[in-house]
Amino acid sequence: MRRRLGLSAVIAATALLLTGCIPSVVTEGDGTGLPNDGQTLRILAGSEVKDMVPILEQAASETGVKVAFEYVGTLEGTELVAFGGAAGKYDATWFPNNRYLSLLPGASSAITASVKIMSSPVVLGLSQSVARELGWDATAPTWAELATAASEGKFTYGMTNPAASNSGFSALVAVATALSGTGSALTDADITAVTPQMTSFFSGQKLTAGSSGFLADKFVANPDVVDGIINYESVLMGLDTPEPLTIITPTDGVVTSDYPLTLLSSADASKKPLFDTLTDWLTTKKVQSEIVEQTNRRPGVPGVDTGSTFPPGILFETPFPNTLDVANTLISTYLESVRSPAQTLFVLDTSGSMEGDRIANLQQALKNLAGADESTAGGFAAFRSRERVTLIPFNYGPETPIVIEVPDGDKTQALSEIRDQADSLFADGGTAIYDSLEAAYRLALTQQKERPDTFVSIVLMTDGENTDGATESDFEQFYQSLGAGKTKIATYVVLFGDANVEELTRVATLTGGKVFDALNGDLAGAFQEIRGYQ
Amino acid sequence: MVTSMNPAVKRAIGVILALLLIVGIVLAVFWGRLFGGATGGGIIPGPTNLTVVQGVIGSEKKPFFEDPEVKAIFAEKGFDVQIVTAGSRQIATSVDLTGVDFVFPSSAPAAEKIKRETKASTVYAPFYSPMAIATFKPIVQLLQAAGIATQDAAGTWHLDIKAYLAAVAAGTRWSDLPGAAEAYPSSRSVLISSTDIRQSNSAAMYLSMASYVANGDTIVSSPEAQAAVIDQMAALFLEQGFSASSSDAPFEDYLSQGIGSKPMVMVYEAQFLGREMSGDGAITDDMVLMYPDPTVFSKHTVVPLTDNGDTVGQMLATDPRLAKLAALYGFRPADASVFADQLTSHGIAVPPTPVNVVEPPSYETLESMINEISARYDTPAPPASSNIDQ
Repeated sequence: MRRRLGLSAVIAATALLLTGCIPSVVTEGDGTGLPNDGQTLRILAGSEVKDMVPILEQAASETGVKVAFEYVGTLEGTELVAFGGAAGKYDATWFPNNRYLSLLPGASSAITASVKIMSSPVVLGLSQSVARELGWDATAPTWAELATAASEGKFTYGMTNPAASNSGFSALVAVATALSGTGSALTDADITAVTPQMTSFFSGQKLTAGSSGFLADKFVANPDVVDGIINYESVLMGLDTPEPLTIITPTDGVVTSDYPLTLLSSADASKKPLFDTLTDWLTTKKVQSEIVEQTNRRPGVPGVDTGSTFPPGILFETPFPNTLDVANTLISTYLESVRSPAQTLFVLDTSGSMEGDRIANLQQALKNLAGADESTAGGFAAFRSRERVTLIPFNYGPETPIVIEVPDGDKTQALSEIRDQADSLFADGGTAIYDSLEAAYRLALTQQKERPDTFVSIVLMTDGENTDGATESDFEQFYQSLGAGKTKIATYVVLFGDANVEELTRVATLTGGKVFDALNGDLAGAFQEIRGYQ
Repeated sequence: MVTSMNPAVKRAIGVILALLLIVGIVLAVFWGRLFGGATGGGIIPGPTNLTVVQGVIGSEKKPFFEDPEVKAIFAEKGFDVQIVTAGSRQIATSVDLTGVDFVFPSSAPAAEKIKRETKASTVYAPFYSPMAIATFKPIVQLLQAAGIATQDAAGTWHLDIKAYLAAVAAGTRWSDLPGAAEAYPSSRSVLISSTDIRQSNSAAMYLSMASYVANGDTIVSSPEAQAAVIDQMAALFLEQGFSASSSDAPFEDYLSQGIGSKPMVMVYEAQFLGREMSGDGAITDDMVLMYPDPTVFSKHTVVPLTDNGDTVGQMLATDPRLAKLAALYGFRPADASVFADQLTSHGIAVPPTPVNVVEPPSYETLESMINEISARYDTPAPPASSNIDQ
């Protein structure tokens, strides 16, 4: 988990500097840990609850309880809690749900109390015209009907990576359970049986992302890329798209997130009253109504009048798997055999300044993705079956691309080759960032043409300023001159060493990508997080 | 610099200061009221030289023990009863009882085991609660049409467990039932939601009644009988998918997310009735409390471990004021009229005492069945922790 550079972090940091005390709501720590005092609850949270900040500011002024957030993906954060890594750093968690957590051994002794605050189902938001054409504005379809329509090319959609984001995982559970047709919780045998139907459904997925918020932003910025996205009902209701979205709630069940605010067993006893005060306040009918109004989430407690905010009708809840094995098999089946494969290009700075620890760091980060990290999260981040991996090391210019095909089936050979290639990287020479990035785009476009049904993306890792060849503005011109398909190939930038934060942030924004911060040296963590976007 | 002051100004400043002082006191008092309870905690009414009596109890009785009137009654005897909540299974197996004065699990088998192990000379069963099913009008009507539920002359709904088990065994979906297309068009299996059988007593009570019926209306008491019913029993829990560890959780989902999420939830009758009496509006007109036929009584049983614990047990069993307060939380004290009066005074119809009631299996048999079902989950049961509400 790394901080992401965002306006909110800058504001929070500025507020800290100006006042010398902790502001009422801190979003994101500074990498050295969240501020901590007798009135502050340090919360490890899903980025989904960012929209609760205004309400929490109100909580601080009304109850005196302040909140400091650090955001992380649900699965990653859940593992951190279950394996003891959250103890001492955080007092509480606030993920979209605790179901995955409860499957991990050791998790239930890590938490001591939880209060559900609000809820939102994961559904499909589809352009009104497409929904009308398919008749889904009048009669909601089943997941099987969605799968048939997707495989016939009648609609396309975006969804987050279920290994990185709760909304993607929730949708995956709902679709697999519905397609299995058993009416009960999913089993391993069911997953095997429904893999072909799942492949039909996911043939319509043309956009992926590592977080629900990024997916929503990407869809709003490029509404032509797909016809709709799978996301929380609350996110979809709040989207400002050129064409209104029709919210499609499959009739055979959805998975609803219930946002339990959860106190960790490791928290200091002095935090329990803060937790109680805050959860009592959040569950009052007055605050619940404000949550409904401001975030489009459904209330977490009974008896709150929501008027006509939400569509009428029964929201059928899909049973959630009750074993870790089923959950993990489902995710790996999706990644390795069901979803469209990825083509991933790594543009890697091997200039002289990378010598020593930095190049060793880079080698390890690559090797982790090639099987060296044996944790569950590491496994989900690894290069996948059917993926084409391209390494483009650069110094005074781009070197010859190294292309490795990960086969469908046994990945051992390909992964070992990637590890060998990582080991053979060495640091020397200049830093031709943009010449190399342009070369990557040319190759990426060729690869995309060769295999149109893939997710193509570029990772740019650099530790310094551009010293050779094309400039930033040259690259911008080059990028604008590219033909169709350019909006689909994002550059995910990893900031490392002495990288130019502002300039590279512009590159990420221009290409529809995102900046990942490894300035603190955690290159492996940044690479793992980026895998959620590929 | 002002070296002298106009007397009028002096007076005015005096008045302002006095006013500020008053405002300050009012604010302090107000602040204390507003936040004292939330952040201070542990304020004990009455005499301050109370003897602390430590109890380990099932979480469903926590609100009762935290009631200020209950605390006041114990304080009359010089007791400050402090409680830690734990699942009944945990109390019987893994909670460290050093320094504990009494335990108060919610099942007779667990109490029996603790009594044996601690060699307690006596136990008290001050109140009980039948297992019941929190459900909805459209659901009971569907079940009635399918011959699975009936409504008696008094208006009470009953779930025929035998017919229900047959429907589950046949893989019946809600959408298979006559009339489902309009009332409840769900492709989910007809299945009661319960808590996690590995952790919670209410699920064990559900297992008790279901295994009785599956075993030909006989309490399971032999390995052979257990082997014959265990597959069917395991399906009741495994097919639910994820289930919560505390009996509050599925009931709260029932209340807040409603019929689409939890069409039927196995609860203690007390949870539903207590909530209804609280008058917070959570129980709405379309909600129904249905009784399984047969049902099982959750007998809340005090096992004293010390003399003070024994006194607490006696008080719970004999003080009519405590019985009345227990009834306010939906529990049925030994004197049925206390329960009836409490409901009547809240304008709630008094449900009749269930007549078709079976005893749970022995502690050992129940544990053996739970262990066999637990083994079919791949995740090891979480380690016991005494401060988790189970």
